[in-house]
Amino acid sequence: MGKASRMKRCILVLVLLSSTILSACAFKDIDRRLFVSVIGIDPAEKLDKGFKVTLKIAIPFGAIKQASSPTFAYLSEEGETVGEAIRILETHVDKVLEFGHMKTIVVNEELLKGDLQEFMNYFVRRGDLQMISYVTAARPSAETILKVEPNTEAPASISFFNFFGGTGTESPFIVTCYLFEFRRDYFSKGIDPVLPIMETNEDKSELIVNKSIVVGEKGKTLELDSILTKQYNSLVHNASGFSYKVKEDGLQLLLNIDKIDTKFKILSDDGRPSKVVLTINKVGFIGESNKPLSPKKLPYYSNLAEHALKSKVHELVMKLQKEQLDPFGFGLRYRTMRLHSSDPYKLWEEAYPDIEFDVVMKIHLKSTGVTE
Amino acid sequence: MESSSENQQTPELLFRLAQQLSPTKDIVQTTLHVEGKQAYILYLKSAVDETVLHKTVVKPFYETASIDIYSSYLDSAPNKKELADDHSLLIDLTRGHVLVAVQEHYFLLEIRHVGFDEVQQITLEPTIHGAQLGLSESIEVSMNVIRQRYHQPSLVFDTMQLKDQSNREIALVFDKVLVNPRALQLIKKRLKNLDFPLILSSGDLQLYLNGNKKSLFPSCMLTERPDRLIYNISSGKIIILVDGSPHAVIAPAVFFDFMISMEDLYHGYWISLLTLFLRYSGLFACIALPALYVGVTSYTPDVFRTELALTVAASRIGVPYPSYIEVFFMLIFIEFLTEASIRLPTAISATATTVGGLILGTAAVEAALTSNIMIIVVSLVAVSTFVIPINELGFAVRGLRFILLLYTTFFGLTGLAIGLLGIVLFLANKESFGVAYLKFGWKNRKKELGIGEK
Repeated sequence: MGKASRMKRCILVLVLLSSTILSACAFKDIDRRLFVSVIGIDPAEKLDKGFKVTLKIAIPFGAIKQASSPTFAYLSEEGETVGEAIRILETHVDKVLEFGHMKTIVVNEELLKGDLQEFMNYFVRRGDLQMISYVTAARPSAETILKVEPNTEAPASISFFNFFGGTGTESPFIVTCYLFEFRRDYFSKGIDPVLPIMETNEDKSELIVNKSIVVGEKGKTLELDSILTKQYNSLVHNASGFSYKVKEDGLQLLLNIDKIDTKFKILSDDGRPSKVVLTINKVGFIGESNKPLSPKKLPYYSNLAEHALKSKVHELVMKLQKEQLDPFGFGLRYRTMRLHSSDPYKLWEEAYPDIEFDVVMKIHLKSTGVTE
Repeated sequence: MESSSENQQTPELLFRLAQQLSPTKDIVQTTLHVEGKQAYILYLKSAVDETVLHKTVVKPFYETASIDIYSSYLDSAPNKKELADDHSLLIDLTRGHVLVAVQEHYFLLEIRHVGFDEVQQITLEPTIHGAQLGLSESIEVSMNVIRQRYHQPSLVFDTMQLKDQSNREIALVFDKVLVNPRALQLIKKRLKNLDFPLILSSGDLQLYLNGNKKSLFPSCMLTERPDRLIYNISSGKIIILVDGSPHAVIAPAVFFDFMISMEDLYHGYWISLLTLFLRYSGLFACIALPALYVGVTSYTPDVFRTELALTVAASRIGVPYPSYIEVFFMLIFIEFLTEASIRLPTAISATATTVGGLILGTAAVEAALTSNIMIIVVSLVAVSTFVIPINELGFAVRGLRFILLLYTTFFGLTGLAIGLLGIVLFLANKESFGVAYLKFGWKNRKKELGIGEK
């Protein structure tokens, strides 16, 4: 009896010991993995239908402190679907492609005009791709943008991540859009997602993000220039550090706004939505001026600014209305405030093209920005 | 046992005992006689304080007027013990008792001489504030130390004799009002049933009391701090003192007792809270960090920040073995270092740690045998082990690391979670003298001291 149990124990120990020699399928040392940091998607060049997927892979190397710039490798492959292309790319490298650190999806601007479902679906389904990845549009192509290695990029850091979410730079010109947010806004009725546009300069030494694109249903897109992007961002995301130029009678002021509060209300007339009242409260100070200013005249300056900013906001909403795009989510708000049975969205869709906008802008300037 | 007082003949009992003790040379058997008075003395020179003997036994013999007065003098001596059978008489003699025969009467007097009765400096659990002197190797002095710090009529010293070869005296110390009766009963029962041939000190007595020979976690606490003893007595625990050992055993002990330093009581609220937090995070770090390294680098590097993932990947370039072997070797290495520096005299241990820690560590990284991050992890683990205030738990934790490492190697971070859960289950299942090991005695200090466990 004792002998038998000892035998059993010996066998158990042997089995356990021998299992250390096998490494399990999930066990993969970190130096056997390649960290994909950015994925770029372009329309296929060789195939008539499909995509070209480009991966930007961060290569770790020995002495990080001594290195002057990070090293990246790029892999490109075309396939009918994104998943197919990535599967093929896995056969081009000796290590496992690790997508856990992939935090930016760069989509060619042209692709946004087509059906997004075809290529975005892959990202939502893969478990190791994070839903908090940033999504951006690329101009002229995703591949070009991916291959930009900015001069300011430090070793072991990836500048694509620092642009968004206030991780690195914080600017009202930069719109941040997460993958989950993009998908949610794209599919829900009454709101349209806005993606930042990434560009590069001529010698490809900089990444530039200050424009954005509104992606509507059925391939409807509208590009917002820098000023409109800033307006949009300050209204929807309450982007701080917002600065705005006011020109009046040779007086030129640059306002630094540090607090923005936006509210809107949808008024109905005869059961039909008729008017949207946008109330915007801004608090800030004057950051730059070409003439000496008096603190006593602050209400006057505020007034000037109110007028100038109001027209800009109005321009933005009118432009969006004309294109039937709604990144503010007016339609979504309307839907949520009405009973579902009455099919409020249909009503809204009919009313939106000629709805009226009333912008109430209140600016409170705290100081002239100079200590006296 | 009739002996003739007329003849100068040694009483039979003394003669018999002396014979049984021979051939040891430290046996002393003398006859005192003056003017018809006679007394016989038997003792072991190596165990008896001869000055006291002379003052209290020999001198009065010559000063008393008659043998009856002397006899009643001895009879009323406070250090007189009852006579038992031959065997226990012999043991009493080896402990420093003196057997006096006057007329037909025998008197057994305790005149012990203990050479090691100094109170010792605290070395195991030093604190900045608080008592600096601990217990003594002599049980009487240790008992004195406790009694002088806890003036309560309810304090009980229950002395008894170990039944092993050493026949050492031990004492159970408790407050009879506050004591946990169930634990007391259990300890008494275990002491009674103890059948180990030789018990050397309170350290091994504690292990034998455990009831479980192969347990990893200690279920009694060893301490040399009188303030800890008093604190535990007043919260209803039982102290076991062993003659010849400067450490006392505290039972029952729960897990959280091992994480408390007496210093916590001497500091302000926020400071002791901070040190407590440091201690528990140190505990977690030294248990889980090696396993976490394997789990995160080899299974789920997504957990890292991207920058860290790249740095770790970079530092592992050229390391020939998979991460778990790397961790295992480095842990073994650090255990070598710790063992070496504990056993060596302080003058040499500094050299060992320098050569081992600094030179070998750097060289191992240079030679790409391990990664830099690994060295950081291992050093952190080594340092945080020393944060645990009681040594015994520190040793247990050193063993736990390897178990967790094994789990994580096979199952990744899930394995780590399962392993940690397993440890918690194991601890929750354990008990120390009838008290659940993971018992969370969350009382404020006033309440704990005032009521205790009844």
